[in-house]
Order: sequence, then structure tokens, then C-alpha cells
Amino acid sequence: MDLNLVLQLATSGFLLGGVYSLIALGLSLIFGVMKVINFAHGAMLVWGMYIAFTLMNWTGIDPFFSFVASAGGLFVLGYFIQRTVVNRIMTFHEAMQVIAMVGVMMILENMAQLIWGPDPHSPHTRYSLSTIWLGSVMIDIPRLFAFLLAILMAAAVFVFLKYTDIGKSIRASADNRIGALIVGTNVNRVYAVCFGVGAACVGAAGSLLVPLMPISPHTGFPFKLTSFAIVILGGMGSLPGAMIGGLIIGVAESVGSVFIPSSLKQIISFGIMILILLLRPQGLFGGKGS
Amino acid sequence: MKKKMNRRTFLKYSAAVGATTAMAGAPTLLRAQAPEIKIASIQPVTGVISDIGISMRRGNQMAVDDINARGGIKSMGGAKLRLLLGDSEAKEDVARSEAERVIKDGAVTLVGPFLSGNAMAIATLCEQRGVPFVMDVAAADDITRKGFKYTFRVFPTTTKFADSMLFYMDKIMKEKNISRIRGVVTNTGDLFGRVQGATFIKVLKEKKFPIEVLGHIEYPLGIQDLSAEISKIKALKPEVLFPVARPGDAKLMIRELYKQRVELQGIISPGSPGWYEPEFIRDMKVLADYVMDNVPWYNPVGKMYKEVNAAFAKKFPGKYIDTNSGYAYLGVLVIADALERAKSTKPDDIVAALKKTYLKQDLMVGLAVAFDEKGDNINADTAMIQIIGQSIKVVLPEKAAETKYVYPMPKQIWDRGA
Repeated sequence: MDLNLVLQLATSGFLLGGVYSLIALGLSLIFGVMKVINFAHGAMLVWGMYIAFTLMNWTGIDPFFSFVASAGGLFVLGYFIQRTVVNRIMTFHEAMQVIAMVGVMMILENMAQLIWGPDPHSPHTRYSLSTIWLGSVMIDIPRLFAFLLAILMAAAVFVFLKYTDIGKSIRASADNRIGALIVGTNVNRVYAVCFGVGAACVGAAGSLLVPLMPISPHTGFPFKLTSFAIVILGGMGSLPGAMIGGLIIGVAESVGSVFIPSSLKQIISFGIMILILLLRPQGLFGGKGS
Repeated sequence: MKKKMNRRTFLKYSAAVGATTAMAGAPTLLRAQAPEIKIASIQPVTGVISDIGISMRRGNQMAVDDINARGGIKSMGGAKLRLLLGDSEAKEDVARSEAERVIKDGAVTLVGPFLSGNAMAIATLCEQRGVPFVMDVAAADDITRKGFKYTFRVFPTTTKFADSMLFYMDKIMKEKNISRIRGVVTNTGDLFGRVQGATFIKVLKEKKFPIEVLGHIEYPLGIQDLSAEISKIKALKPEVLFPVARPGDAKLMIRELYKQRVELQGIISPGSPGWYEPEFIRDMKVLADYVMDNVPWYNPVGKMYKEVNAAFAKKFPGKYIDTNSGYAYLGVLVIADALERAKSTKPDDIVAALKKTYLKQDLMVGLAVAFDEKGDNINADTAMIQIIGQSIKVVLPEKAAETKYVYPMPKQIWDRGA
């Protein structure tokens, strides 16, 4: 086996894994607090991408700066969706929640197609083709930036949850909804902010992916599937689990393609998911019984 | 809660019904002047390949509009065509249910559907329902090998693609004094991609053609990251890459080849989209140069091509007639021609007329459309196109060539200062 090839694949996979982590972080946060699975997560990623793309076309701002705008835009969208849709279905049976969330996904995807058209866009950014070489291993600069910014964004979310009042309320509502209500927490507002923050994570991730891959209204779908696998691997609702899970899946998918045909790539992430469900159903970082 | 009907509500409803009838009545009177024939276009207008799906639908619709503008189906009293629209979402099951729906809505013939897998689903249904189906684009050999009576294909088959590809490669290798090429074949994992990739390799082996396939890499349709695949290709050290792609992954591939500095003499597709759409050149710029593609292309000197392309470019700024929109247009012309000769909308009459089709055209490369006993267009052909100076040129066959091909690539992709 070619060691160089494995090193190359591991590096690429690890860097992309950082972005996977950020996407999964948003999904896990939403699930952890509201117990609602956000099936519109992939479509939200696409909206993050298109916001960055549009800003780049209008103002020339690089997606690595405009990820803040994408995160902001998606926060507003997430807040709105929580208030209008998610809040009404939170006490429903899971199957009914799925229908509503898939509906949101279809609306977002098709709105994107109506607004930006169906053609894939690969905008040329200043760094999109830059690389540095460490010996014979290539490090893709946009991938490296995406990784670093994704980790930064994730760290910001952790700080937000740990040290701000609203962050503490989110954690309190996740732990014990009734308890949070009794001490006077405005649970509806907390949930809406939490959904907004989850959407902001995936929006930022979308922006970071703009220099890496073509944007089209349906780009989000494979990411959604992968982030489900990551969340299950890391532990449903566990934020450190989403981060570590993202890196593991990133490297495994990339290196795994040495051993199996690329067309079966998703077998790797879902294989890991099935293994973890068999051996440690609560996930790597999930507490007992979660 | 029940409401009682009183005088006021009764009057309100009566007024509403009256107004609706009046509004709906007017167009009915207009429509009654000429009979109408419904045909249906089923294309992947949403989903992973929606860009091409929309381009195909536009081709279908423009042909219908043009035929109607020229007086409709004259042998049937100037009957106008009406195009029912179906969206397969690039899924086989949806393609089938959409076909079912348009047949129920009265479509006498179906046209579509770009994806070979979807074509198989629709062809099977049309056979059961006894409704003619004209495939504008769909290449997989198998579809017309099932003995279907109602299915016809205007597009070339994958075997035709492979034969033409070898013909052109033979010419290039002889002219450039190359005895052997070491190559890697890649394809997407949908039915067309798999069959196109596999048929190319099979025909190479059968004919003992001097192209050695070092590796065959398949990846899923709609893939978002090709870095691992390109690393594998780089490790195999091929001279030529033979990719069967789609618009999104074609761009990913070129960018990764650039970043990973893969050294190649050429990128020559055995025939696939991805390389000729305006968006590919717009986004890839100099990196797009020297890519070759063996495709059923428009006929650059054709009168019909010039007219249709001018109208298409005017209606959809930034777009031009390419393989897909061109064949979508041609598919509808074939149906209209059959209806004209059948003088009937009965399925068996249409099928009988389709079998006798001899439709002269200079929209696409290839001669008049005529079907063999399997329903394949015997005169469908491909051209070798190449991107030179960021514009698409026909380079082979020589009789249609706009310029001479460039091989090997004079500059590596990563050496073009993008």
C-alpha cells in the first residue's frame, strides 16, 4: 500500500472532518435540546452556501469572511422556523415531526432552486486553488482555512453555551424542561435561540464549503446523511461527540476509499454507525441511557 | 359547525360561480377552434441533475412552440401540440409515477427523460400501457434490448459511443505516432455512468485496442469531494484520464487535478455531460482548456442548428443549444413528424409511423433520424469536441471539424496560472 496516498487521504479527510463536525454540532445541539431531528439541515447548509456566494458576487467579500453573515442569516431563518414550525410539533410523535421537517427541507431546497437556479456554481475565490506541499503531501489551503474556522466557530458555540445566560438557559432547558419552566425560564425563546444557533453552525459551515465544492440546490443531501451518522457515533445530543465524530468520519471516509470502491463510500460512515449502535448504542460520548 | 344557506350567501355564491364560468368560458371558446394533441415531457427538473433537466425541458417546450407557430400538425387540421410537464426528480420511482400521471391526463406520446435508469422505468410502464415513448436522451444499451414495442431512442447507444470513441482515438494515436496509452477510466455510479464506463472498457478489451486501463474508479452521482479519488488516480500515474462525469463532479475533478498537480497528456471523455455546459467554462476558465469529449454534438454548419440556437440563446440568455437541449428539441420533432404521417393519435398508428421515420435534420451531428428494429436511431452519431481558448470546437470528424485538435495538452492544468 502506498503510504503517501494514505497520508494524503488522511490529511484531506481530517481537514474536511472539521467542517463535518460543525455541521453535526448544529444537528446535535438541536436534537439535544428539543429532541427534534432537523431534516432540513442539509437544505440549511445550502442556504449558507448561497448567502456567501451571493455576497461574494455582489461585494467581492471572500466566503472565509462572509461566513459570519451566513451564520447570522441562518440564525434568523432558524429562529423563524422554530417559532413557526418546530415549536408546534415538539410534543408530537417522532413520525409526525419528520413529516413537518421534511416539508421544511423541500420548501428550502426548492426556494433555493427558484432563486439561484439549478446550475452548479463553483465560484473562483482568491484561495480556492492554493495549496502548500509538506514533502509529497498536499495541503489544500481552502480546506485548511475551512477546518480552522470551523473549529473556531465550534469553540465560540461552546463558550456561548457555557458562559452566557441564554446559553446556560439552553442547557438547563435541555436537562429539565419542567425545572427550567418552574424557575421562570422563557423556554420558547430559549428553544428558538437554540434552533437559531444550530442553524447558524450549519450556515457557517456552508459558507466555508463554498471554495471547496460546487453549489447547487441539492448539495446538502449527502452532508445531512453523513451528519446523522456522526451524531449517532458521537452520541445523540453530545457536542464534544459531534466534534470528535466528525473528524473520525472525515478520516475514515477518505482513507477507506483505498480499500473499497468510491461508489460505496457511504458504507463506511453507515458501517461505523451500525457498529456503534451494536456495541455502544449511546455513542462514544453519550451518557448511559441517553 | 354548520352554516345555513340564506339569501345573501346564496347570492354571493351564485355571483362567484357566474364570474368563474364567465372567465373560464372565454378561453374554452378560443381553444375550441383547433383540436389539441397532448404529449408529455418527463425530465429530472428537480433533484441532483436539475440543471440538465431544466435545459431538456426547455428544448422540448421550444420545439412544441415552434411546431405550433408553424401551424401545428397539418394532417390533423392544424391540431396544436400541448406539452404536459412531468418531473422525475432524477428518481426511477418518481419517473414511473409521473409517466403514469401524464398518461392518465391524456398524453398520447411521452418524451424524455435524460437519465437511463429513469428511461428504463418509463419504457416498462409505456409498454404495459401501450403508449409510445420517444427517448430524446438516454444512452444505456439495455433499454432497447428488452424487446419493447413502444420505445424509440433518438440518442446514440453506449456501444455507439464506444465505437466512435475508438475511431477517434485511433485517428489521434496514428497521427501523433502513439503506440500505447496508459489511462484511467472514471464514472459516476448511476446507470448511464456505469454502463458508459463499463462499455468503453469492454470494447477496448474486445478490440484489443492499445489503451491500457490502469484503473477504473466509480463514485456516486452528486459526490461533493473528489480529493480521495484524484489521489488514487495520481498514484496510478496515467497518461490520459477518461472521465464519464456530470456537471458538478466535472468541476470538482478539474480543481482537484490542479491542486494535486496530476500530470496528464489529456483528459478525453468517452462521452458524458459536465464538460460542454456554459457553466463549466465560466467557472473553470483556463483550466477547462484542452478537455476533449466524444458527444452527440450540434452540427455547427447546419441551418436548423443556427435558427434553433439563435432562438434558444435569445430566450435563455447565457445558454446555448448543446447535446441535451438539442436532442430534446429533436425528440419532439420526431414525435410531431410521426403524428403528421399517422394522421391519428392512436398508439398503434403512431408506433407504425415512428417505425417508418426518416426525418432529415441538420441540428445535430449525424444524418436523418431513422429507427432500426430495436427502436434505436441508426444515424445518431458523435463528434469529438475540445475546449480551446475557452470555447468549444468540433475537432473530429474532419468533415465537421472547426479546428484541429490539440494533443497532448501543451500545458499541465496546474501550470496555467489560474
